[in-house]
Amino acid sequence: MMLSLCIIFVCTILSSGSAEYIKKVEDFVKSGHTNNWAVLVDTSRFWFNYRHVANVLSIYRSVKRLGIPDSQIILMIADDMACNPRNPSPATVYNNANQFINVYGDDVEVDYRGYEVTVENFVRLLTGRLPPGTPRSKQLLTDEGSNILVYLTGHGGDGFLKFQDSEEITSQEMADALEQMWQKQRYHELFFMIDTCQAASMYERFYSPNILAVASSLVGEDSLSHHVDPAIGVYIIDRYTYYALEFLERVNASSDKTIGEFLTVCPKRLCISTVGVRRDLFKRDPYKVPVTDFFGSVRPVELLQDIENETQEITYEKQVTLSTKSKYRFVPQLENFSVLSK
Amino acid sequence: MKAILLLSIIGCINCVDSLSDTFTEELFLKPLYSKQIYAHLHFSTKWDTDYVIESFRHTHLFPRALGEIIERHNVQELHLSLTAGLWRYETWGYPIVDAAPGAELWAWFKPDTQDVDKNWKELASSLSGLICASLNFIDVPNSISPEYSFRPSGVVNQPFVNSSFLRYSALPREIVCIENLTPWKKLLPCESRKGLASLLNSLRIYNTRYHSVAIHLRPVCRDAECELTSLEVQQSVALVYDYGILGTRNWSIRQLFGQGLFGSCPLAKSSTVYVDITSNSSSPFLLIPDPDEYVTSKRGAYTSTFAKYDINGDIDHISATYIGKQNVLINSPPPLHANQYLTGYGQERGGIVIKLYNNHWESLDVVVLQSLPWYVPIYLHTLKIQSNGKQLKPLVLKYIPGKLRKRPYYLELVLRLPPQSTTSISVDFEHVFLKWTEYPPDASHGFYIGSTIISSMLNVARNFTALPQDGLTIADSFNASRSGYLVQVRTEVMVITLPTPDFSMPYNVICLACTVVALAFGPLHNITTKRLILKPQSDEKLLVRIKNKILRVIKGDTNSKSSDDSTAATSEK
Amino acid sequence: MDKKIRSWILMYFLGAFARLWLATSEYQKIISDRIEISTPLNSWKRITEGLHLTSLGIYPYIGDTLHEPPVNLAVYNVLVAACGRYFYLIFVICDTATAYLLYIAAKKYMRHLQNNQIDNKDRYAKDANDILLKDSDFAIPPTYVAAAYLFNPYIMFNCVGFTTTVFGNFFMALFLAGLMSGNLLFSTLPLAICISQNLYPILLLSPLFLQFLNIEKTPRKAITAVIMVLMFWTLLVFLSYYMHNSWDFINDTYGFILTVPDLRPNTGLFWYFFIEMFEHFRSLFIYSFQINVTLLYFIPLSIRFRKDSMLLATSLLSLMATFKSYPCLGDVGFVLALLPCWKHLFNYIQQGFLVGCCFIVTTALAPTVWYLWIYSGSANANFYFGVTLAFATAQIFLITDVLFAYIKREFTLKYGRVRKIDGKDAQLMLE
Repeated sequence: MMLSLCIIFVCTILSSGSAEYIKKVEDFVKSGHTNNWAVLVDTSRFWFNYRHVANVLSIYRSVKRLGIPDSQIILMIADDMACNPRNPSPATVYNNANQFINVYGDDVEVDYRGYEVTVENFVRLLTGRLPPGTPRSKQLLTDEGSNILVYLTGHGGDGFLKFQDSEEITSQEMADALEQMWQKQRYHELFFMIDTCQAASMYERFYSPNILAVASSLVGEDSLSHHVDPAIGVYIIDRYTYYALEFLERVNASSDKTIGEFLTVCPKRLCISTVGVRRDLFKRDPYKVPVTDFFGSVRPVELLQDIENETQEITYEKQVTLSTKSKYRFVPQLENFSVLSK
Repeated sequence: MKAILLLSIIGCINCVDSLSDTFTEELFLKPLYSKQIYAHLHFSTKWDTDYVIESFRHTHLFPRALGEIIERHNVQELHLSLTAGLWRYETWGYPIVDAAPGAELWAWFKPDTQDVDKNWKELASSLSGLICASLNFIDVPNSISPEYSFRPSGVVNQPFVNSSFLRYSALPREIVCIENLTPWKKLLPCESRKGLASLLNSLRIYNTRYHSVAIHLRPVCRDAECELTSLEVQQSVALVYDYGILGTRNWSIRQLFGQGLFGSCPLAKSSTVYVDITSNSSSPFLLIPDPDEYVTSKRGAYTSTFAKYDINGDIDHISATYIGKQNVLINSPPPLHANQYLTGYGQERGGIVIKLYNNHWESLDVVVLQSLPWYVPIYLHTLKIQSNGKQLKPLVLKYIPGKLRKRPYYLELVLRLPPQSTTSISVDFEHVFLKWTEYPPDASHGFYIGSTIISSMLNVARNFTALPQDGLTIADSFNASRSGYLVQVRTEVMVITLPTPDFSMPYNVICLACTVVALAFGPLHNITTKRLILKPQSDEKLLVRIKNKILRVIKGDTNSKSSDDSTAATSEK
Repeated sequence: MDKKIRSWILMYFLGAFARLWLATSEYQKIISDRIEISTPLNSWKRITEGLHLTSLGIYPYIGDTLHEPPVNLAVYNVLVAACGRYFYLIFVICDTATAYLLYIAAKKYMRHLQNNQIDNKDRYAKDANDILLKDSDFAIPPTYVAAAYLFNPYIMFNCVGFTTTVFGNFFMALFLAGLMSGNLLFSTLPLAICISQNLYPILLLSPLFLQFLNIEKTPRKAITAVIMVLMFWTLLVFLSYYMHNSWDFINDTYGFILTVPDLRPNTGLFWYFFIEMFEHFRSLFIYSFQINVTLLYFIPLSIRFRKDSMLLATSLLSLMATFKSYPCLGDVGFVLALLPCWKHLFNYIQQGFLVGCCFIVTTALAPTVWYLWIYSGSANANFYFGVTLAFATAQIFLITDVLFAYIKREFTLKYGRVRKIDGKDAQLMLE
């Protein structure tokens, strides 16, 4: 009887302690990211790959709308569709034949465009090994508290992604680049989205922690496009991104939709290909992670405990250094050649 | 902490009065000869500061991003333009600001710069980040230092102009799109929220025949004595709309820009719209509402009339309606214009021809600058200059031959064009075979050759709208008669297709070439290291020998060994 | 005698006339533009460009059009200034003189062979007497050599295309004539000029040395000859330096030949190989290919053929023409012209028909597939590459066949024609 009492006593203590323990564990794995970045890459060139540019701009638009500033988005577009002479409505990229949304918008900053979108530049961007003199807008200045969204779209195959029809990045190179990022503490958590054919092969080799990956099709399957715009004559959006955009359009900055819901955004009957997910490297439960953890941005907020009431006199020192006076003159814009005889 | 910051900002607003900078914005509209209308937006900022010592820590109206770049790279003058389309000089006259198709960048570095090439490369990289263009492809192998064509447009205090501090480069392949306009707009004091910059509606301004975005920065005289300098930034957007695309001849602000005028920028000293009504005499049109003022400008014996509107909130729309039937007009081409084109066929050799048209009654001294990339090697001994059928000798010829992968071909000629003549300059070139890694991803698109720049000082200002050298705004160009008017005509760009190798073949080629090398090695090795000796011939016939060999392979080694022994025994006998 | 001289003069006249006719016709431009004839090294267009730039006061070596040393440029300047419009006469005269010099070299070589045969008569096998060469066998080949040079289409096009290989061949022929005559001056100075123009003739130091060592039996003269060649060459290099007071030309001439920056197609193997080469391995393969053409066969062949320096020189020239960085048809034609010296080996050649067909087919196909690639756009680079591979293979088979025939004849002379061991049939094998 003493034994059973002891057992009951121990059990009650344990149960009360375990709730706290569970909460402690939950608190431990709750996201502690401090800033959000996005790397959005379109790897295809040529007019018939219009849909890939529309894909990446759809995600760009959502990410910007949900709060990530341009300075923290790296947008790489391999070819110009909006101002392409073949575009019947210049300076626009639509993701829908009925031209519901112009995903190009009025305020877009493309960081890498045209011939700059290469495998080397992409890997250098991720790992941070860019040549000195690279401007800030072309660098991924992440730290250990950054949540990064990486979105790739283009033509892919089993184990590779084609860049501009002339080179490829293999899944092993991709995995190694992400591992370098982890070793250099360049991300807190990473959400890897890829919309290509046989996309799941790209994330199969990942071995770094804190990566949640979703692909639009499994190995052996093709990702399909959604529809053709007869005015343009090409497919203008891919299925997975179309439905992903549809989902994201209903999300706003204070929404509580979770990544888990986002992962199921395109069932087989809509996407025709099976959406693949890799969650073993991701510690948290996707259903408890808000979508805005990756697609939105943490707004830095500082709580002020006390407010300084005193006004301070700010003295602005006039520029003491006097500019040196010198005789300046305008130079004639073209030399006088009349002195030269023929 | 935050409160201190807030108060310091409030404190500083009082102090910015000592930073004296002014900002003006202007919109210039001019109907062109052949069913186009030219719209030019001009934003000028002048800041009274000494560019030599300025650190750009405190800026007011001047764009700080640009200031930091020029300070870091020791730049004295910066000229950048991004253009889509070709300016048709023969029908449109001269623009206010010239720009070559694609991207064009040239910069003068301060005379104390140690390594101009390094600064140039880093400047191009920084600007590529600022303006979202691929300017980082500008490097020493595609830059030149022109001697005659480009001189400082701002003030200098050196006695002589040293062109080794100048670098010029052009990227004809660059496209202009909204991503270039977005950061450009953010350089303006009011960005695109208020004032004339709000007219830059991307859905309208890219539907044009010519679209050019430019930034020109230079030091100018602060006052008449010119012992102190000010820093001046001119940002401009030049657009040429086609009546066919617009749908009607009767243009209006709403049609061109998609919206009306919503007031001026509060930080602007003045906000004006000028409409060139000189053509009103030949194709009359009515402006609604009535302009505030009519300005007549006499420039070098040519008179132009402008309708001026001050934008201060009460005007929200300007429209023009053409009266009467459309007249057929005769085009009077400008005094100087030019074309360039390729000759020849096939991918082995070709020629470049530059045609200059002098429609002036006097002879003109022109400077022709052509910089050819290193993959277009030209032969100078094939240079032929002919004017109206006669040979023309250049007054000055400056040529620096290019080096493969290191330096472009730089040719600058000074010619005296006879009056009323057509001069053609032709030179032959060869196609180069590049390494397979040097081709762009779309190799069959071709490689671009930049435009030729033809500079001349005209003494007539016919069809001439550019700003004078000391001018800042379009208003400064009225009645600005000078001794010479600089025109820099830019021709078309050209595309050549270089012969491509088979990109899928590296391993195959290596194997095949090494096989041929080995074909030589084998016999020569045998000849030099072996001796000829007589060896007993095998008795068996050829077929029997082959059959035995196959049986050996099938049955395995043990069996073969025994058969070998037996045959050896028989032959030795 | 009279008839012989008359037929002789007729031969030379015909050769010169054919060249003159082509040089003044409209085909001259087409021929000189062909990439098989004019390479970046020997193109006259580049010489003209260099002369033009010099006349304008621009240093021609800051660009990369010119790849001849300044001394050569100065000589061309003088020649062009002297002849004006008729400068093509220089090429024709040079070519005809080269044919005559080759005739002299072949005649001297035949004399050496004759002496050699007489000296070694007692060492030969008894039944090998019928393969010994008769007097007529020694008299005919030199004429054939001259004819082979005069009427060889490769050489004719090379001359009409106004390439500097004409001058290179002239000095090479002068070197061979001097070498076979045993003349020290005429075998060293022309070789130095050849080396200064294209680097590869430095390999011919070996036949020079061996000729004086083994045939003339004067070791001191051999060493002197080698030293004289090197001295003359250094003198030419210094002359070039003093002309413009800078060493820039070395990068543009010898550096160009060795590092192969210009990947214009030609009849060689370098161009496509280095167009398609991975950047990382480029220097490794440049080294390998240059060693292949220079060092690899130099010593083995010199040791094996030390007794016969004309054959050694021809085989080295043939390997150079096949494997050098910027070969042209002029080089190949020169080697083909020397082959009649070994007319007596033609019985032993096994692949003659194959090689002949290969030469004819590749010569006809090369312009065709070039046109298809560059002008029609219907073929691609692989076709032309295949043709150059076949051409190189044909040249390799030719020279290896000749060398095989030589050693077979050598064996036959020593051991007789009967191939039997102890009465049983035996095979001739290399071991």
